[in-house]
Amino acid sequence: MTLTYVDWLIVLVYFAFVLGIGFALKRYMRTSNDFFLAGRSIPAWVCGLAFISANLGAQEVIGMGASGAKYGILTSHFYWIGAIPAMCFVGIFMMPFYYGSKARSVPEFLRLRFDEKTRALNAFSFAFMTIFSSGISMYAMALLIQRLGLFHGIVPDVYVFHVSIVLSGLIVLGYIFLGGLTSAIYNEVLQFFLIVAGFLPLVWVGLRNVGGWSGIKHTLPATMTQSWHGMAHASTNTLGVEWIGLTMGLGFVLSFGYWCTDFLVVQRAMAADSELSARRVPLIAAIPKMFFPFLVILPGLIAVSIGSHTVTAPASSVAVPLDQQHPHGIIPQKMDPITAKPVVDANGVPVYDYDLAIPAMLLHFFPTGMLGLGLTALLASFMSGMAGNVTAFNTVWTYDIYQAYINKRATDSHYLWMGRMATVGGIVLSIGAAYLATSFNNIMDALQLIFAFVNAPLFATFLLGMFWKRTTGHGAFSGLILGTFGALLHHGLTIPAGYMAGIHGGWLHIVHTYPSDMAQNFWTAIFAFTINLLVTIGVSLLSEPRPEPELVGLVYSLTPRPVEGHLEWHQKPATLAIAVLGMLVILNLVFA
Amino acid sequence: MGLDIRIPLGMIFLAIGGIMALFGIFTQGDAELYQKSMGINLNLLWGAVMFAFGAVMFFIGRRQKWQDDPVNPRPWETPGKVKPRH
Repeated sequence: MTLTYVDWLIVLVYFAFVLGIGFALKRYMRTSNDFFLAGRSIPAWVCGLAFISANLGAQEVIGMGASGAKYGILTSHFYWIGAIPAMCFVGIFMMPFYYGSKARSVPEFLRLRFDEKTRALNAFSFAFMTIFSSGISMYAMALLIQRLGLFHGIVPDVYVFHVSIVLSGLIVLGYIFLGGLTSAIYNEVLQFFLIVAGFLPLVWVGLRNVGGWSGIKHTLPATMTQSWHGMAHASTNTLGVEWIGLTMGLGFVLSFGYWCTDFLVVQRAMAADSELSARRVPLIAAIPKMFFPFLVILPGLIAVSIGSHTVTAPASSVAVPLDQQHPHGIIPQKMDPITAKPVVDANGVPVYDYDLAIPAMLLHFFPTGMLGLGLTALLASFMSGMAGNVTAFNTVWTYDIYQAYINKRATDSHYLWMGRMATVGGIVLSIGAAYLATSFNNIMDALQLIFAFVNAPLFATFLLGMFWKRTTGHGAFSGLILGTFGALLHHGLTIPAGYMAGIHGGWLHIVHTYPSDMAQNFWTAIFAFTINLLVTIGVSLLSEPRPEPELVGLVYSLTPRPVEGHLEWHQKPATLAIAVLGMLVILNLVFA
Repeated sequence: MGLDIRIPLGMIFLAIGGIMALFGIFTQGDAELYQKSMGINLNLLWGAVMFAFGAVMFFIGRRQKWQDDPVNPRPWETPGKVKPRH
């Protein structure tokens, strides 16, 4: 990849603004409340854009483009049923408890609702997870910069990986250290608009090239262009999962577990200026989220459509195996990083590097200048993924680990200082995690696996905690432990087809083989959720319930409904949620 | 927070859009360069769109006069004011 001075200038302008925002906000960071919660003063639309942007990291953009090229429009399920319903639910039903309870973090909410041990469990596992995610984001970025040869001629090739990691770490550190959560949220808004600005023309020119959506439909097999085609059975669609596993595993357990309980996103909503704004945040976020498949998945489909006019699979065909029959368009072959030779599989068929779908598109369609913007958009997405994790980490560390267990009675300015130190520590640990990041085929799969272990059982705890007043701390704690243990056990006993026992599962004994790793992930989540639900109910019934007055503001049946009398019907969050769900149904029907 | 996000957002789009549009004007008619984007001068076209978006954001942000607010007390701390203003 050769960049000219114009491309570099655009990238530099972006980095100047990123750090500039940090400096501009530094003077407003006077209490820990300003630093960790943005002073609870951000308008709903800003939080809403940050809400999706924080999630729009490297895994998302590169992974979704890769899945689009590999599996087709089915990937949009990760957005449509895998995010929108959960975002509506958290906005309408859960935000009043998060925001109204005055908890400063999700683990702190767990302490208010349950007890200290449940909070500790969540705080530590969450802190671990954010570091891991941030490290993967960093690793993915450094790998991409290396593969694209971005610093070629500027930095000696052997150092490119290390330079990329340290540089990205320093930039994220800079703006969060200075401006805390506000800085992260503001930068996420910039990143959102830059990602749209960088990818929209890509889709536009790309679609012109392949003859629009009808051209893609004409070129690619029906399994790739219809989102519900062959979902009745795992063997007739490219994901290798049937509709029950998809809607229950992804649409319910994984997606609700992530969007409703993950402090990384919930923190953005908690920074809003009022409870009403906080409830609107996920709903506002859902609108652009719904259309993001057209920005990040469609380029993957376009990439495999270019020059692939030979596939003549009949519409009723079964799944297209990922072999030489699968269209690969402009996707480059996978190169072995050590031998620098193309990778071939056991049958001598070349392996294609789907993770390069989006970068390949940028290089194919963007002239100098525009290429700088496209690259900036890509870098912006890497930054936002990392920064979101780091801000969530520094808050949980300071409030839920440091203040709770290490130094209970320090001054506020000490906690502010600690937050800044936690930012430094978080970045250093992320760099460590980046070097530990192992070789998974698809980054998305690795993350889904972690979410399945840690997040999937979590949603059962929140659901019971918020909507069943009888739930007790002992119940929640044992449910979480056994839920995560159940996820591990399920993973150890099952394996996706075509893998050796080991990191992909089956490390205890193989009792069941799933058609794909995706199906295995979804079912791991379903098992973890169910075990947690049953254990929490069982143990709660056996243990002493908390007196009801203590649970006001924390449990649905004991909390007064949010006052909405002064709002017109169209201002109510519920109206917005219904509109969002209506649009979701229409989108699914159009692409069914 | 004391800084309206629309101001830096507007500024970055003005800057990047401006650079792209200018570069697009200077490279107008360079068929080889724009062969990739199917003959469309993406720099000029998209740069101008971004510039316009940036201008709108910047002026809306300025109109709010956030930057004139004193740092202390901060707007959301002012007694008697229930709703922060945006």
